[in-house]
Amino acid sequence: MPMYGDLGNKLVSHAKRTQNLANLPPYQTELVRDVTREVRDLDKDVASLLEPFQGSFDPAADQATACTLLVNHLSMRRNKRCLLAYHRTRTDKLEELVWNGADILDLAGQQVGNANGATAGADGGANSLSPQEEDYVRQYGDLLAAYKGQWTDIDLTGSLEPPRDLFIDVRVLKDAGEIQTEYGAINLTKNSQFYVRQGDVERLIAQGYLQKLG
Amino acid sequence: MSYYDIDSILTDAEKIPCTFQLDIPDLGYLDNSPGQPLKAGTTVNLPLWLAEMLVIANTGSVDNNTFVTFDLPPALGNDVVSALKADPRAVPLRDRSAHFYGLATHMMDLSEEQELGQVLRKTFVSRATEIALHARKVGGTGHGHKGKGKDESSNLGLGNAGEEFLRGLDDWERKLFRKAHEGAKAGKEWMESIKKY
Amino acid sequence: MALSLPPGLTHAEVSFLAEMEMVTVVPRQRLDSIDLLSGKTPALRPPHRADLPLWLALLLKKQRRANIVPPPWLHPASLSQIVHRETKEDPSAFSEPPPLPSRASSRHPGFASRQGEDGEFIVSPPFRASCTADAPAGYLPYHWLEVAEALLAYAGDDVAGLGSAGEIRGLLRDLVEVRAAKMRDSAGTLGAEGGGGVVSLRGVGALELAENRGFVLGVVDGVRKIGASVEASRREEEMEYEGAGGGGVGEDESDEDMGI
Repeated sequence: MPMYGDLGNKLVSHAKRTQNLANLPPYQTELVRDVTREVRDLDKDVASLLEPFQGSFDPAADQATACTLLVNHLSMRRNKRCLLAYHRTRTDKLEELVWNGADILDLAGQQVGNANGATAGADGGANSLSPQEEDYVRQYGDLLAAYKGQWTDIDLTGSLEPPRDLFIDVRVLKDAGEIQTEYGAINLTKNSQFYVRQGDVERLIAQGYLQKLG
Repeated sequence: MSYYDIDSILTDAEKIPCTFQLDIPDLGYLDNSPGQPLKAGTTVNLPLWLAEMLVIANTGSVDNNTFVTFDLPPALGNDVVSALKADPRAVPLRDRSAHFYGLATHMMDLSEEQELGQVLRKTFVSRATEIALHARKVGGTGHGHKGKGKDESSNLGLGNAGEEFLRGLDDWERKLFRKAHEGAKAGKEWMESIKKY
Repeated sequence: MALSLPPGLTHAEVSFLAEMEMVTVVPRQRLDSIDLLSGKTPALRPPHRADLPLWLALLLKKQRRANIVPPPWLHPASLSQIVHRETKEDPSAFSEPPPLPSRASSRHPGFASRQGEDGEFIVSPPFRASCTADAPAGYLPYHWLEVAEALLAYAGDDVAGLGSAGEIRGLLRDLVEVRAAKMRDSAGTLGAEGGGGVVSLRGVGALELAENRGFVLGVVDGVRKIGASVEASRREEEMEYEGAGGGGVGEDESDEDMGI
């Protein structure tokens, strides 16, 4: 027998799994809708319970009703917490992906085989982001870009690993064209190898154009 | 324990036995019989998020009654506590509850179980030492160059007893294991990165 | 939320910082003083020894422009002595860090206050030179493991002057293992009857802290959470007790209060 709060719990279990995944699993559209519907139903119940009292309900005089109201209230509060925590977990993850330089189009296009059965979104297999989340990512990305743009000498989303050497050997995996460095221009053609300043090519390594050797 | 903390929300879903102190017409569904009234004296397992408030909320009557009374859940029963006193490492806590310590701290907030706190503290700490030991083995820090057979073999694997112990970790302990393991692994990776040069 | 690193320094960060430790070199070529952010380096004139930051010493070593004089504590005899102390003499504590050059100041606890002879300000480790040729033997400095591994990896021939690299590595492994076990057991003391004690981390190295920070903080946090509700109810009782006795407190009662 399902109880109030069970659906919310399912949603939070999804969030728990999300925390340990590298990618974002599909947004649980259907489940979110069900939980919000439950909250509306509970609210309706409260309204109809209180209706006969015409605004003069005395909990001490009608303890059974007071208890029912409390249970309804707690269930709504619980659902709200589950909903907020689920969305917060996802936005945290999204922010992390944006900081890591993930492409919004990559995210939106993720085709994830949905193995979660009954609770899967009706539009299963489509985008893993809700339209609101796509919007969030886009705007957060803009915000981050504007923030980063204030400093041209330092890459805020660069590697956090302290360098062992200033210069490194790299191999070119994909043609990346010509780049300008302090020591002149380098033409990065596929399969060529260079000894370059790490700071000059960090971005290209992160994007998969270059591979660090040794 | 933030509002958004996923583990704390999941812990709040753990159930404890509660006994209703008055008839409540609309809550029969809590006892699997919607449409029927819930009779006083009925015992129902309620999740903490519901039970906690019902236990402390005042009915508003003159004699300061509460809506429900509660008992310790089976996960914290006397048998478990005695087993923990005897040998904390031998009890698979996860079989009792995936959120064993979380549940227990909630129960200690509700009731004044002084002794439980002592037992739990000892349990947690002595198991933590064991967890760190296993995390280091699994992490394979690979410092087994001592040439002593005993040390070498202990680095090879966990053995059945070790696996069994790790399977029985509750959520707090799993998190602890992960932290210890990450530390040991980072140490190993650092050591290898230095040797490459 | 965007920062993916755990609190505290990572291994890579710690060993990067360890490269600021001063070590002693014997230059093979002349090199003029370099004006670094951290101050001027001494001019190098073979065969006179000079103290340089580890990163610069390693760079010169790679270019065969200098040899590094390993710190005395890395000598097998010194390491064996420390292993002996850690396992036999005081198996429950970490061995002492190197002694400070002077008594700590009462005005700035934790920092040595004496002005050096040439007027420089002497500070406590990790900022004090403890890996140079005049560092004391028999003590592990804050960055012992990072410096030892770096020297073994990049200046193996210089370290070989002390004794066989295999022996040194073996002793270092022993120390790592012994001290890791102590770190684990230190968590056990938190469970002791009547509150348990605070774990003393005196003498623990930077890399060891990085490795164990997550675990130790996790244990402390767990103990705190378990103790929190007991503590709360104890306080409540105390409040009630004080409230009840608030009217006319007799002398006997306040004595009892002291007893608790």
